[in-house]
Amino acid sequence: MAKLQSSFKNMLLSLTLIALVAAAALAGVYMLTTAPIEEAKVAKQQSAIMQVLPEMEGITIAEAEEVNGITLHKAYVGEEWVGTAVEASTEGNMNMPFGGTFRLMVGFDNVGNVVRYVVLEQAETPGLGAQMSTWFCNPDKPKSNILGKNPATTNFSVSKDGGDIDAITASTITSRAFLEVVVKAYNGIAQQPMPIEAVSSATQLHEENVVVEEDTTGRKNCKERGRENCKERGRCKNNNVQEGGQQ
Amino acid sequence: MKQLIVSPAPHFHSGDSVRKNMLLVIIALLPAYAVSVWQFGWGALITTAISVAACVLFEWLIAKYILKQKSTIGDLSAVLTGLLLAFNLPSNLPWWIVIIGALVAIGVAKMSFGGLGQNIFNPALVGRVFLLISFPAQMTTWPVPQGFATSYVDAATGATPLAAMKEAIKSGEANVLSELPEMWDILIGKMGGSLGEVSALLLLAGGIFLIATRVITWHIPVSIMATVALFAAVTGWAGMLPESVCTGEYVMLSLCTGGMMLGAWFMATDYVTSPMSNWGKIIFGVGIGVIVMVIRTWGAYPEGMSFAILIMNACAPLLNLIRPKRFGEKKKA
Amino acid sequence: MKNKALNTVLNGILRENPVFALVLGMCPTLATTTSAINGMSMGLATTFVLICSNVVISLLKNLIPNKVRIPAFIVVIATFVTMVQLLMQAYLPAIYEVLGLFIPLIVVNCIVLGRAEAFAAKNNVGLSALDGLGMGLGFTLALTLIGAVRELLGTGCVFGLNLYSETYGMLIFVLAPGAFIVLGYLMALVQKLLKK
Repeated sequence: MAKLQSSFKNMLLSLTLIALVAAAALAGVYMLTTAPIEEAKVAKQQSAIMQVLPEMEGITIAEAEEVNGITLHKAYVGEEWVGTAVEASTEGNMNMPFGGTFRLMVGFDNVGNVVRYVVLEQAETPGLGAQMSTWFCNPDKPKSNILGKNPATTNFSVSKDGGDIDAITASTITSRAFLEVVVKAYNGIAQQPMPIEAVSSATQLHEENVVVEEDTTGRKNCKERGRENCKERGRCKNNNVQEGGQQ
Repeated sequence: MKQLIVSPAPHFHSGDSVRKNMLLVIIALLPAYAVSVWQFGWGALITTAISVAACVLFEWLIAKYILKQKSTIGDLSAVLTGLLLAFNLPSNLPWWIVIIGALVAIGVAKMSFGGLGQNIFNPALVGRVFLLISFPAQMTTWPVPQGFATSYVDAATGATPLAAMKEAIKSGEANVLSELPEMWDILIGKMGGSLGEVSALLLLAGGIFLIATRVITWHIPVSIMATVALFAAVTGWAGMLPESVCTGEYVMLSLCTGGMMLGAWFMATDYVTSPMSNWGKIIFGVGIGVIVMVIRTWGAYPEGMSFAILIMNACAPLLNLIRPKRFGEKKKA
Repeated sequence: MKNKALNTVLNGILRENPVFALVLGMCPTLATTTSAINGMSMGLATTFVLICSNVVISLLKNLIPNKVRIPAFIVVIATFVTMVQLLMQAYLPAIYEVLGLFIPLIVVNCIVLGRAEAFAAKNNVGLSALDGLGMGLGFTLALTLIGAVRELLGTGCVFGLNLYSETYGMLIFVLAPGAFIVLGYLMALVQKLLKK
């Protein structure tokens, strides 16, 4: 067969034909794969939920609930509530992570202790922030391990900021964001009408934290506070000499 | 600039050579190195010894077995690369990381391009940046100076002044600043940091010695430091600093901490990787100054001297298009 | 004839290796080779697209007028890429998660369009399929090799098999700069070996 000439009619016809066949083929493949893609998504979420919940026989997961951008998956054995898997992300965090946002699935038992967590999505630096998927669940390092700890009784902020959890070496920023997400996830279940005894004290503790942090970030009169701080640290000696001449 | 004098024979050799220049740079580094040994103890000695030995060994091996050419270790450039690499590392870095750094500096950054004079990037800095990205935890754990008694591995560690400063600027929390050392300590080198970058005063003295002996010219270091000082002052006036830091203090801090002195006087002035004309050198220096302050102020790392120099290294061939006017050349109409 | 077929395949794998000799398709080469398995998956996905598009374009070459051949080729290639994407998402979700962003980029991979234009539009169906196979395998081989070297140096593993402690892994090789360094050295090595 000879090659078709580049006449307008030929070009129009051949492109239309190719586009039609392509569209039909794609539509077929799309219809074929829609169901498996959905299944794969659901299976992934289900396995993440099951991974972070307490290991028990005959666990059932209730319908997901959304509270303040946090997704709760409550788990029951029979009628009894045994724990919650909480999906939370760094969106709206005060401490933003290092690279983009990340999402965690954190499991709590029925008194609010962290059971396990899974990192669903992250873009932190490999070898630094990306270590969070193993760093906070290492049984050999009790000071950085959050498993079994309760945000109500343990201060979930990095030890550098006066908290009880050791940050990832050289990745304080990621660690702060991570711990804030865990606390956010905890607050998500604490706001639910649930029989958690420690709820009230937990929310209080968190609020106190917030207040303290706001206090230090608030900008006061630049000069006055600056001077005070300088004097306290015994620096800016020259300034004092110049101004007062004696001290 | 002095006029070139063209004269008939006889000529005699001025005695200038690669070896002599390298030797002068090494001599200029020694006083600052003495302070590092005094501050960091055995760690400083061991790291330097490993780095220098590994650099010389790799250069010899590559020249002999891969490039199959005459060995160039006699010109001392490998010794200087090893010394500068060690100056850019924390003093308690595990020995095998130092060796990897030396291999990258000599093998990747220098010999892959064909040896001394062919490399685009400063070898010691390529080695350092490679290690910084590869081993971020070890490369950002800075030993605190404790005097000579410290053993190699078990040094106490802490933040560098720049890291503390960055934290303070970011969070606005003033109490972080209590970690900052006194101004005098910063000048003599009693602060956390890379092995050889701590003693600002003696590095400055070494740099002036190099200018006096005409190994380097003033253009690059002075333009870097002037740019940094101006940038720091503008940051202060724009009100970006935490309340407790005075603008003047921040300018001094920017000039005397981190790799500023070491980078400006000894690394940026490397003949091979910097432009040749005076105006080229000044643009080169201003570029480094701006990049380093941008990284320090807004970047992810507290210090950006090595990145700044490497980025401008890449621009050096372009800056070499700035040439002095040829004698008798007329402007095109 | 048999000889020519074999030559076409070997050509793509060695002498005109898309990565080491033609330096085509650098975006996926640099971006997806963080581990051997990622590089291999990307290579195989590209191979599939290459073979299919080469066959179809070779079949249609007389039906496509010269002036509109590029848009026609692109539509054919994009169709196969979208199919690969959907199929991967459905049946290999784990790999899709890693490569997701780069699968659509196969459309603009120079190798695919380049082979369609330079080979499939001028040769018969059988040879075009073999060319696609050879080029695809060459690409896969190169990507797997780069991925293996980067994975080994960066994390101490190859195909997930641990060879030495991760403590000694140089992270730079998992990140972008390491891709350039490894690509450069492998290219030099392959060129040296091919010259002999």
